[in-house]
Amino acid sequence: MKSDITKLDELNRREFITSAAKACLGVGLLPMAGSYIHNNVNALEPGSRPATARYVIYLNMSGAMSHLDTFGTNPDAPDIQGPTKSIATSADGVFLSENLPETARHMHNSAIIKTMVTSQGAHEQASYLMHTSYLKRGTIAHPTFGSWVSKLSGNINTTIPSNVQIGANPAGAGFLESKYGPLPIGNPSAGLANSKIADYLDETRFGGRLAMAQKMNASYLNQYDQKQVRAYSDLYKDAIKLMRSEDLKAFDITQEPEQMHELYGKSNFGQGCLLARRLVENQVRYVEISRGGWDTHDNNFEAVANNCADIDKALSGLLLDLEMRGLLKETMVVLTSEFGRTPKINPRDGRDHWPYGFTAFLAGGGIKGGTVYGKMDKVGRNPAEGKFIDPASLNATIAHAMGLPLNDVQYSPSGRPFTVAHDGKPLFDVLA
Amino acid sequence: MAGRKVLILSLLFSFLLSSWAEEPFRVFTTSTGQAFSGKLISYEGQTFYLKGKDNKLYPVQFKQLSANDQKYLIKVAQSGTVPKGDPRLLKKDTPENEPSPTPSGDPTPDKNAPVKEEIVVKPLTKPKPKLRAGSFFAYKPVNLGQDPSLAVENTVSAIPGPDEPVDFTNHVLPILDERCFSCHNAPYEKNGRTIHPKAGLRLDTHEWVMKGNLDNTVVEAGNLEDSYLYEVITLDEEDDMFMPPKGGALTTEQIDIIKRWIVEGAKASAGGGEAISSDMSKGVSFHQHIFPLIEERCLDCHSEPYVKNGRTIHPKAGLRLDTYEAIIEGNLDGTIIEKGNAEESTLYAVITLDSDDPEIMPPKGDPLTEDEINMFKQWITEGAKENPTDTFAKPKEENVAMAPIDGNNEESIVEKLAKRLKAPSKPQMAAAQKSGALVTLLSMRHSMVRAEFSSGPNLIKDDAIGALSTIKNNISHLDLSRTSITDSVLGEVKKFNNLTWLNLKNTSVTDRGVENLSKMPYLTYLNLVSSKVSDNSVATLSSLKSLEEIYLWNSEVTKNGIERLRKALPDTKISF
Repeated sequence: MKSDITKLDELNRREFITSAAKACLGVGLLPMAGSYIHNNVNALEPGSRPATARYVIYLNMSGAMSHLDTFGTNPDAPDIQGPTKSIATSADGVFLSENLPETARHMHNSAIIKTMVTSQGAHEQASYLMHTSYLKRGTIAHPTFGSWVSKLSGNINTTIPSNVQIGANPAGAGFLESKYGPLPIGNPSAGLANSKIADYLDETRFGGRLAMAQKMNASYLNQYDQKQVRAYSDLYKDAIKLMRSEDLKAFDITQEPEQMHELYGKSNFGQGCLLARRLVENQVRYVEISRGGWDTHDNNFEAVANNCADIDKALSGLLLDLEMRGLLKETMVVLTSEFGRTPKINPRDGRDHWPYGFTAFLAGGGIKGGTVYGKMDKVGRNPAEGKFIDPASLNATIAHAMGLPLNDVQYSPSGRPFTVAHDGKPLFDVLA
Repeated sequence: MAGRKVLILSLLFSFLLSSWAEEPFRVFTTSTGQAFSGKLISYEGQTFYLKGKDNKLYPVQFKQLSANDQKYLIKVAQSGTVPKGDPRLLKKDTPENEPSPTPSGDPTPDKNAPVKEEIVVKPLTKPKPKLRAGSFFAYKPVNLGQDPSLAVENTVSAIPGPDEPVDFTNHVLPILDERCFSCHNAPYEKNGRTIHPKAGLRLDTHEWVMKGNLDNTVVEAGNLEDSYLYEVITLDEEDDMFMPPKGGALTTEQIDIIKRWIVEGAKASAGGGEAISSDMSKGVSFHQHIFPLIEERCLDCHSEPYVKNGRTIHPKAGLRLDTYEAIIEGNLDGTIIEKGNAEESTLYAVITLDSDDPEIMPPKGDPLTEDEINMFKQWITEGAKENPTDTFAKPKEENVAMAPIDGNNEESIVEKLAKRLKAPSKPQMAAAQKSGALVTLLSMRHSMVRAEFSSGPNLIKDDAIGALSTIKNNISHLDLSRTSITDSVLGEVKKFNNLTWLNLKNTSVTDRGVENLSKMPYLTYLNLVSSKVSDNSVATLSSLKSLEEIYLWNSEVTKNGIERLRKALPDTKISF
């Protein structure tokens, strides 16, 4: 079990290289590969309403966070609540768990959906559903939500990808062009791996090698002057552009002053949030940070308190920093997990998998601050107020705030139609 | 004596008729074991209409009955001895078949029928709950602030005297209000979605009641038989089409009021109801009247070219109807509209062809209604203008209901500005794209534009912004953060009169640049984080009364400057 939990958090080397090559080099699907330059912007179709958020930072509590001990406390039901207490927040009548004292001070900018539901009770399938809005199938790879955002919202910064994934990597661009897939970053402190010229190469030797490669390609390029072939050499250009770009500094959090590192906390997750803020400043549309360690079948209360110490510091630091820079107005911060944990406390003082009534925390751009949608009943099984909200509707809500066209159809290679949030409907109650 | 003779004759007549047209009484059993004695009257699809001993109609689903009964029904249906269709509708055609109103007329045919023990299923009609005299609920509710005596007066006048003509507003509307409005009201906004009336039928004003819905009218003045509204409220309560579907039937008095109102000519109140919004007496507006219709009926085929499954779909006949310009332009064959002359206009000609003509437009669905055709005719005759000359016709109410944004009904500055402007054309957008920025419409068919420059260092030169000048009035959002622009760029930016959102974060903009912003009337968001702006700009910033939020963290503005700014802009959120 333990090895599984750690695996959720880290990428192994092979996975990393595969996804990095896909995102940076477009190696995954050659015919669809292309340049980052937004030369096809005329085809961009905005949504039905003006966007209220331009960027999304998605904090994925992988392994399923105990909603009852974090954002979904139910003080009316002491039986299921266990030892966790509720505390007041900066928004009237909104309560959080005592594990999140710092986040509580930002509740006036935030909303909580308390009646999330999912049809999947196993980590992998549920996470897939959360990220893609579609059920996992053997015959197709659906694009992640970030890939949809990248595809539909257009890239402002032409040198760096608009979709970045820090930590575990649940799925990629699916059938969309691979350039829209997430650029993976394993360790936020190390920045973007393999993006510098190797130490043993100086500029002239590197140039010489490139020239030689071009020379060898020349006759082939002449003979097959086709879009797909040209696209491949564009990829080289893009990679080199990124390599020499000043934008590479966006990935380098060592440039931040020490007090910034401290504001977010020195944990991997905290530093990931700091990197996310830097990336959003550089107009990366969608940054996801995964944090594992939530699969608390045993000793739930202690583990959740420990995890919360980390995410509380990082999340509140992120919200404060974004607000200070005027970025919170156009950046939506989402924190959720693939499902929740049982209201019933098991004999090992843990909580097990529970797909009903878990929570999604939304803050910043496009969000109606200080709102709570829905309320669960005393046994935590059915909504006492509001309706169940499924993953597709959560994604539709985010997409709607970003001004994406919910009805824009993209076709899989076999010609089947898909949309950004499947059949989800935006939850207007939490939108500003 | 004479009356008795008529009675006997009518009995004999109905007996004769029924003896060959009707099936005998028998006991039907359901698959759940209930038994019911009745005779088969008619059938329609899977529904069989049985008449019970109490002479009431019981529609029964074929599937609910036992196998034995199903065999019987199939046999009867095949032999063709019972008619097809809903018996209540059949009755209209053969009024003689109707049982005479006197109670003695009913049970005659039963005498010959084999009578078995009967376990009658409970009658399907539920008794309407009657309010006890003096019950709390029996009182007329009085709204807050309303004079109770007035409210009571209204209840009295809600029932017209026997000789008094029925008044729509005083007598009919309260009934509709009580029993129909929850489904058949004007479209309204709920959770950000527009709720349209059921069946597209509105009953909230006299005009709408008379207009009916897309299927047909529901009230024919003076003609009870053809008034569908009257038919549905007088159906059997178990009928699918029975109205209102919830809360039981209308009372006999209420039905009578509606009946009298229709018979008396279904007139509006003497005061005259509110004029219907689609009134075209003030001229037909292209945007309010014509285009919604074109959008609904023509754009499936005559839209701009689009890509589907990798292929470009061109509009049929090379004709686009998606903009006013395109409609006036016509296609390669020529124009389709002769301004001022409907008869000469191809568009008018093709919509007025016979419905079986292969050339009729639209080729699918019903032909346009007479009203819709007249609307086109009037529009063309008036000169086929984009806007009528004298005045804007009142917009259709449906359009108004679609306007609010996400439950926030207060219209933002951007939306107000958008209404004054035309959306930029495709070539204009393409030209603006040359600035190197990502230039997008705020939303579909919005006329305001967002321009976001890449934060890549040294990528954006000051002159790049010149490419935006062709759409300068349309730009509402401008993001120049982390670019290498200098003060001189703001000299260009100040010409963007309708700018509401300006991001200058992490730029080398100084007080000299900010001076240019003093005349920006609609600026609501200004980000000067990590810029070189100092206290000298406070005076300029103080004049920006429209500001909702301003961000000055890490700029050179001091605490003292912030205090002065707070005093000048007390309602603005100042982040420091």
